[in-house]
Amino acid sequence: MSHRASIAQFGQINRRTLMMGAGAGLAVAAMPKRLWAQGAPTLVTSIRSLSNPYHAVWKTGAEAYAASVGLEHVTLVSEGNSEKGIADIKAMLAKTGGNMVLNSDPNDTPDARPIVEACKSAGASVVTQWNKPADLHPRDFNPNYVSHIEFDGIASGKQIAEILFKTIGGSGGIIALGGLISTTAAIERKKGLDEALAANPNIKLLDFQVANWKSTEAFDLTSNLLTRFGDDIKGVWAANDDMGTGALEALRAEGLAGKVPIVGIDGIKTAVDAVRTGEFACTITSDPFWQGGMGLSIGYNAHTKKFDPATQPPEHREFYGKVVSITKDNVEEYYKNNIDSKPTMDWNDLWGRVTGAIRA
Amino acid sequence: MKSISNTEPKTAMQSFWSRAGKARRWRAFAPLAVLIVLCILIAIANPNFIEPRNLIRVANSAAVPLTLAMGMTFIILLGSIDLSVEGAVSVAAMVLVLLATNDSNTNNYGWFAVIAAIAASTVMGLASGFLQTTLRIPSFMATLGVWFIGLGFSVYMLGGSAVRLMDENIRALALSRFLGFPLAVWIAIAAFAVAIVIQYHTRIGRHIMAIGGGEDVAELSGINLRRVRIMAFGLAGFFFGVAGVLAAAQLGQSNAVIADGRLFAAVTAVVVGGTALTGGEGGVLNTLVGVLIVTVLANGMILLGISPYIQQTVQGLMIIAAVALSLDRFNLKIVK
Repeated sequence: MSHRASIAQFGQINRRTLMMGAGAGLAVAAMPKRLWAQGAPTLVTSIRSLSNPYHAVWKTGAEAYAASVGLEHVTLVSEGNSEKGIADIKAMLAKTGGNMVLNSDPNDTPDARPIVEACKSAGASVVTQWNKPADLHPRDFNPNYVSHIEFDGIASGKQIAEILFKTIGGSGGIIALGGLISTTAAIERKKGLDEALAANPNIKLLDFQVANWKSTEAFDLTSNLLTRFGDDIKGVWAANDDMGTGALEALRAEGLAGKVPIVGIDGIKTAVDAVRTGEFACTITSDPFWQGGMGLSIGYNAHTKKFDPATQPPEHREFYGKVVSITKDNVEEYYKNNIDSKPTMDWNDLWGRVTGAIRA
Repeated sequence: MKSISNTEPKTAMQSFWSRAGKARRWRAFAPLAVLIVLCILIAIANPNFIEPRNLIRVANSAAVPLTLAMGMTFIILLGSIDLSVEGAVSVAAMVLVLLATNDSNTNNYGWFAVIAAIAASTVMGLASGFLQTTLRIPSFMATLGVWFIGLGFSVYMLGGSAVRLMDENIRALALSRFLGFPLAVWIAIAAFAVAIVIQYHTRIGRHIMAIGGGEDVAELSGINLRRVRIMAFGLAGFFFGVAGVLAAAQLGQSNAVIADGRLFAAVTAVVVGGTALTGGEGGVLNTLVGVLIVTVLANGMILLGISPYIQQTVQGLMIIAAVALSLDRFNLKIVK
């Protein structure tokens, strides 16, 4: 009997302790909320992972901006899990009482809507990049949804194609390696290539093959295409750098590296190195350092009422950012500023890289 | 009357298939016939196919899949499956790149990196064999687990980026040639020779066949199932490790996705070659033919200019056709 009572008591104490703990927790959670709501906003970056170089540089840019304005900065990582990404943002909104600026690369297109709605109801300012549903517009969430930034796949595909055509002297045959058939980026970049081809009738597209963004598949495809077209191949257009490096190794195995120029997109280090050695004609980058810092800067300036999002023109609300092309001419400078050291940037030049409103 | 008219065509079918059954010996050569017909058709459509330069390219793209499929053959002969191919290949490639000269750290261990890479992959194979026999986990689940452990580990070590392999001696595996063929092809041929010796001239090879043919009978006749299973998975890991080294040498880099799609390629090659997924039937010779069929087809479709949008469809059709041809399926009692 006494044994049973002690068990019951044990449970009671446990419950009481739990309640006390929860009460204390609530009090602590409530305190900083007030403190923060009165003070400066917290800067929050929400990205997919820290294990890919792209987002690692994004975070460096965000931290550089936070240091320049002397604010606290928090990085949330979704690890490719949309639920986790959204839940972390909501937790952060609750913790800061809405006094925060969010720069988000939503894990998936549909994620942008719940993120924006949560920020709207909490009173936070949000900038999204790359992914949002076509019918979700910053103008419908004034003043909280400040801007959405993307990079024009058609323009990128066209730009590298034109640099490739110029490098091979304006005429001859090329092969093209595309990304995963169903992805928007793959479709847009190919469209850019097609536009450039239409404008350059002396360039012949020998074959377009799909290497699914992967260097391994690009390697096999390129060596097979070398059989089919042999020396007719004067250049290689790749929809990303990874496929471009696969094509480069296939060319190297035939002793053609450096003789047949390659162009790609992303600005990965291997490609930048290849531009230095002359094996790549060019690669282009959306500049994740700028994306990480400027997304926060635009949001922070709106949050602190430096400008009113509602009165901004449409091309400041949903716009394509300017890509940076890395060619033989500027590779040494790019290397010095971006790989050997951290770039310096004018974070107050909010709209300097706007190239136009996003196509409807 | 009705029942008679129903059975008549059936008996005709049966007699047809029993006659075909007499020719079962010839069925073993069906994949080889497919390969030869394929080569002839492609050569007619595009004579470039039989150019020596192209045959060397076909051999070069077959090198990695052949080495992988050698390991996979032993596992499928056992009646098991090894899903850890992609994990093992990525670990081997990661270990190689990080220990040899590279652009991410200052290591420079040369050929020791190659040995370490193959050893790492072999240990993974032994571990999945050990997991199956000790914890009694089916090979499907144990190797699925090892796949993701390996992949996760190499992604972590590489930090998500591509690390370049800059050791000239190791890159020479892909870039320098002997008798016209890149060294990678010769290594794949050596792996094939080793696999032949293991299958036909060693005790472990015969034990694997026996277990695949009937595990209970094999156990009753005194075969140590546990030991054979662990050794077979270790052997597979060894071949995956060699393939990982070759893949990294070919691409000159290692990244998290270096092994993407290799599992499908290896299983396809083994099955297309005529080795039964139920175990105990087929072997490394079949797999050689299977690898060549898959590689020649991929090369041929590019030479013929077949749209990338339908190439995968053709590959899927080929798998079904090859499997249908290779076994006398009408005598199978159960199809799962």
